[in-house]
Amino acid sequence: MTNPVTDGIDQVKTWIVKRHPDRQDIAGDLDLIENRLIDSLSFVEFVFLLEQVSGRSIDMDTLEVDSIRTLDAIEQHFFTARVS
Amino acid sequence: MDIVSVTRVRRLLDEHGEEFFTRMLVPSELADCRTSTGLDVLSLCGRIAAKEAAFKTLRVRNRFLPWLDIVVQRADGGWPLVDLRGSAGRMAAASGISQITVSISHDVDYAVAVAAPILTER
Repeated sequence: MTNPVTDGIDQVKTWIVKRHPDRQDIAGDLDLIENRLIDSLSFVEFVFLLEQVSGRSIDMDTLEVDSIRTLDAIEQHFFTARVS
Repeated sequence: MDIVSVTRVRRLLDEHGEEFFTRMLVPSELADCRTSTGLDVLSLCGRIAAKEAAFKTLRVRNRFLPWLDIVVQRADGGWPLVDLRGSAGRMAAASGISQITVSISHDVDYAVAVAAPILTER
């Protein structure tokens, strides 16, 4: 049986790696913003993806930077809550 | 200052359609970017670069660019004017900025924009 949490975060990781072919993998605690894997322009598309994968609408104005700073934070804020 | 790649924005337009840009540009901005054949990618890039350049002058930390609160209008004379609304207005006030002036240029593959803050008189 597939796990919706790991499925979701894997889709997010795949989306990032596809846009950064110099990377094969992304550690869960890697700062996506400091390492320029997400910038202002890709951030809008990233939120678009997160909404589709998590099934939740996201208000860009109130979104906290730290909630998408790492894959671990994304998993905690957008996927774990939905399953429990 | 900021630079935006036409290739990158065209990919967004191709993959997600015009609706995607409603998250980044208000209706009047989209209207300014529209031609008879649809959204003009170079105009989109110019607006995006101008918003990013303006946001950088605000010197804020741990905040995302409030795309719909930094509005780039076209003055009667054709030059761009930056209208700071909502959260962008609050960020500017907190940084002692009353206005931001911006200049945009684009050519084939890139758009660039330079922004300068005008400080609030003490």
